[in-house]
Amino acid sequence: MFRQEEGGVAPINFMWHLVWDFRADLLKGLLTAIGVSIVALILSMVIGMLFALARMSRFKVLSIFASAYVNIFRGIPALVSVIWVYFGWSLLFGHNFTVFQSGVIALTLLYSSFFCEIFRSALQAIHKGQREAGMALGLSRKRIFRSIMLPQATKIAIPNIGSMYIGMIKDTSTFAIIGLVEVVRVTQNLNSTYFQPFVLYTAAAGLYVIIAFLIDFIFRNVELNFSYPPQGRVAKFLSRKKKKKIEELMKST
Amino acid sequence: MPTSEVLMELSGVRKTFGTTEVLHGIDLKITKGSHAVIFGPSGSGKSTVLRCMNLLEEPDVGSIKFMGNEYGPGITGKEGKRGKPIDLRRKVGMVFQQFNLFPHLSALDNLALPYRSVRGGSLSDAQERAAHELNKVGLLKFAANYPSQLSGGQQQRVAIARALSLDPELMLFDEPTSALDPELVGEVLAVMRDLAESGMTMVVVTHEMNFAREIGDLNVFMEAGNIVTTGGSDFFDNCTNQRAKEFIGSVL
Repeated sequence: MFRQEEGGVAPINFMWHLVWDFRADLLKGLLTAIGVSIVALILSMVIGMLFALARMSRFKVLSIFASAYVNIFRGIPALVSVIWVYFGWSLLFGHNFTVFQSGVIALTLLYSSFFCEIFRSALQAIHKGQREAGMALGLSRKRIFRSIMLPQATKIAIPNIGSMYIGMIKDTSTFAIIGLVEVVRVTQNLNSTYFQPFVLYTAAAGLYVIIAFLIDFIFRNVELNFSYPPQGRVAKFLSRKKKKKIEELMKST
Repeated sequence: MPTSEVLMELSGVRKTFGTTEVLHGIDLKITKGSHAVIFGPSGSGKSTVLRCMNLLEEPDVGSIKFMGNEYGPGITGKEGKRGKPIDLRRKVGMVFQQFNLFPHLSALDNLALPYRSVRGGSLSDAQERAAHELNKVGLLKFAANYPSQLSGGQQQRVAIARALSLDPELMLFDEPTSALDPELVGEVLAVMRDLAESGMTMVVVTHEMNFAREIGDLNVFMEAGNIVTTGGSDFFDNCTNQRAKEFIGSVL
């Protein structure tokens, strides 16, 4: 291939081998991205659930606070969030988070608002007869939530959690700006040496795509294990004892 | 057989949804061992009366007396000892039109989970009791099945077993066969018939007039938020109320 240049024609040199040569660095970057996003995923789910409960609370103050939080943080770009956490926090309070910590906190601030909405809609999607049946049986509010609402809401939310997580992984790319050595930061470093932006960034995108496929696969499996009756291997393995017990009961009763 | 001991008494129960009053002051006595049947056109408030009996709907005015306690807001100046709704619900079982089994639990766990959280004790005690109750409604062999693997009639029988496993003093049935295919109605009614014969106090909201005629020793006809007329087991043959007669004629 050729391109027109001043005074003549120069060949374009796609150095795809760079991707293979620096595979270790790229993979390390990928692992960092996964690490930050997984910790943030767990924290966001816990906090998001608390926000969802606050948002549906009878106490006006709580629900107004939660819905204000959701509406503000849903709209903030990850780049700004991480700059607030990494630079802003240090300027205001004189305390420094590490880049890893900053990445986790920045993502958690944003995604707990998304998870709040995911869990709220999942809880509201449960037929009201479920809660009523629990009440009619004399179960406590806590028990109804823990044993009836939460498991069903989790199942409803799983596909959305999966796509949220793909978004979280991609948002780690903006943390290159604070020096977190994730995929994009590795790519930037390589690019400044070899000046191969097309090749290197395409490779980076490829990594995200592969990871997205993997996450989708994993979450499909999780969903299968959460279906009623459970269908995945994990769920079948876990429920084999229960099945045995039921068989025993059927014989003895 | 019904005794004269009153198990539950509703006095002056009024309920408003939004701006519409759907119950205009209901008085009803359920004696121990009796089988009350409530019927009437849709929108007459019969389900709401039933749901007030276990406080799924809290009356706006009126009192519900049950086993020595009073529930609901009461009638001003006549309040007795107040009870907590959860204490009442633990002694009153309810069966819903839509079954409302827990879809994420096996039939066995649908019984064992509530039993254990209400009664405490070990998991295997709860499971044994659950198996025993499932056996009584003829569904022990489906203990491991999930609700989605059961027919409507089987689901409703599990729901009845679930309510019975908590040893209720009173069973409420909210149109228990209305969501069933016609050929599945019989098996649910058979379980209810057995229960009635065993002496359980029951309040049944239903459109199954033949069943009502069969088990009802207190028949209550409701219309537009009022109890229009009541009668004993001879109600269907000797009913003198014109509206009730018309209604029975239209559904039989």
